[in-house]
Amino acid sequence: MIRLASIWEAFRVATASLRANKLRTALTLVGIIVGVTAVIAVVTIIKGLDKTVAQTFSSQGSTVFTISKNPQIIKSREEFVKFNRRKDMTHEDAEAIARLCTACWRVGIAANAIETVKYADQKAENVRIRGVDPVTMFDIDGVSVNVGRIWTESEGAAGRDICVIGPDMLKNLFQDAPADRTIGQEIRIDGRPYLVLGVLEPKGSIFGFSRDNVVYIPYSTYQKAYGGRRSLVTFVQVPAAEQLEAAQDQVRTIMHNRRHTTAESEDEGFSLETQDVFLNLYGSATSNIYIVTIGVAAISLVVGGIVVMNIMLVSVTERTKEIGIRKAIGARRKDILTQFLIEAVTVTAIGGAIGVGTGFGLAYVISALIGFPLLVSVASAVLGVGVSSIVGIVSGLWPAWRAAKLDPIEALRAE
Amino acid sequence: MSEATLTISPVENLIQSSVEVDGHDPSMLISMRNIWKTYQMGTEAVHALHGVSFDIPRGEYIAIIGPSGSGKSTLMNLIGCLDTPTQGQYWLNGKNVSEMDDDELARIRNQEVGFVFQTFNLLARATALHNVELPLIYGGVSSSQRHEMAKQALKAVDLADRVTHKPNELSGGQRQRVAIARALVNHPSILLADEPTGALDSHTSMEIMDLFERLHSEGNTIIVVTHEHDIAERAHRVISIRDGQIEKDERIK
Repeated sequence: MIRLASIWEAFRVATASLRANKLRTALTLVGIIVGVTAVIAVVTIIKGLDKTVAQTFSSQGSTVFTISKNPQIIKSREEFVKFNRRKDMTHEDAEAIARLCTACWRVGIAANAIETVKYADQKAENVRIRGVDPVTMFDIDGVSVNVGRIWTESEGAAGRDICVIGPDMLKNLFQDAPADRTIGQEIRIDGRPYLVLGVLEPKGSIFGFSRDNVVYIPYSTYQKAYGGRRSLVTFVQVPAAEQLEAAQDQVRTIMHNRRHTTAESEDEGFSLETQDVFLNLYGSATSNIYIVTIGVAAISLVVGGIVVMNIMLVSVTERTKEIGIRKAIGARRKDILTQFLIEAVTVTAIGGAIGVGTGFGLAYVISALIGFPLLVSVASAVLGVGVSSIVGIVSGLWPAWRAAKLDPIEALRAE
Repeated sequence: MSEATLTISPVENLIQSSVEVDGHDPSMLISMRNIWKTYQMGTEAVHALHGVSFDIPRGEYIAIIGPSGSGKSTLMNLIGCLDTPTQGQYWLNGKNVSEMDDDELARIRNQEVGFVFQTFNLLARATALHNVELPLIYGGVSSSQRHEMAKQALKAVDLADRVTHKPNELSGGQRQRVAIARALVNHPSILLADEPTGALDSHTSMEIMDLFERLHSEGNTIIVVTHEHDIAERAHRVISIRDGQIEKDERIK
């Protein structure tokens, strides 16, 4: 049995000897700190991103899929060439889907442009202009009006110059004026005046990109302003995720007929995608980051462990006399073993704790810069200190054993 | 044995106290029987001690004297349970320590032996109090009791006002007194001093020897290992070692 008193004594001795050799202690800690910092920072950042991603995609959820000319992610130049040969996705395609797909609940079309928006002497750049039809596209997009109203179907069909603005416009164009004061105002996009009918609820930002920096206009208006030749994206929503597959099958059949292709064709002529595309890409990106981080952390912890072992061997040699004195007055092997193990674990646990601190600090800075929530997890802090303590035990074991089995007579003779 | 008890009268039995049980005298604090210590130097076996036997009763003040290389250091290491004999039996306070393993010996050193070294051997970074507490820590004494006992021990060597001083803030004589307090704090069976005045000037040496005399008068068993005759003469009995054997064992007081 190892007594609590001798553990406390070991801890006292450990902290005293670490204080006495501050520079050496600091150098010993570097490897451990780097390793733990890397793990904590990356785990914290990715957890924050995970939460953002989950929130973003759950707003559209797994009940929405899209049919478009080009997929959302193009992996190579060959693909780009291939997809460009496809026919454009048209309003007629969307209407056919809406008419023929019985499993589809809501069908809408959307097209985007990036423009500068002006009001009086204010202007907002890089605003996403989203032409949508019908108004259920607001529901499919998961956005709703906070103040004012959405246009009616007849207003939309007439192609009137009306719009619903995202909340960023209040800040960027109206100098933070209350939302109701902007209703009925006229903003200009590309020189065209648009009447503001409503303001959307804020959606926040993802990876530093605001989802509120948007202006919705009717698709027929969009067509007039930007031409009808641009390819659009058809959105389909099903009532529940279980119907997703059935709806996708129906849509594929409809589109195969319209493109005169089959599932076996070299190119089907369209791309049918869910949000899973993003999630899969995101998942593989983060798992690669995890692997790299674990590699970096493992290397620094191994190096850190070797440094700790080296320092502990030096410490045992330097303190041979002390070990002799302790043995002479009754310290057993396990008392000495415990003392040096605790010393090694104290060093590495301090390194681990500093690493946890700097890791969270780094994650905080990065989360503030990119703009995602910081999730400080106690589990990863415990893991950081725990893993570094294990490194301490492993690398302290041999030096501690050497100290423990010293012959007291020989040790007392040392200077 | 049974015949012997029949022939020896009870009165004689009282006078002749050397009745052996299991090959040693249980009334003695220390009983060494035919102790050998052999070191292997390459192919040659060197006998540091050959066939040493003696008894030390409780409360004795004894000096072990001999020139360097005589085997007295080896004998001291054996008495202090820092080492075990190659051959022979050693009973300390009724326990046969000659066949104990490392951890059992550590326990005996902790409970039965108080060491005083020539070079004091205090922990440099620890206060006087902490140095004196150290044997109690390894003995498993609770912290409040430890403080009390250590303070008492420092008071007994007239260092009550130096409790928080570190060794480098103390004079040589004071350091040796801290070491003596450390040796006594566990109330060991023997106080074993190895050249206790070797690093001290003559005046301080006398102070330390006076302290030993006082501790002896208080009932402690004291064994001083030395090569200096004037130190040995302060003891009541002197064992002279030469060439690994007892040359002389005489009572001088």
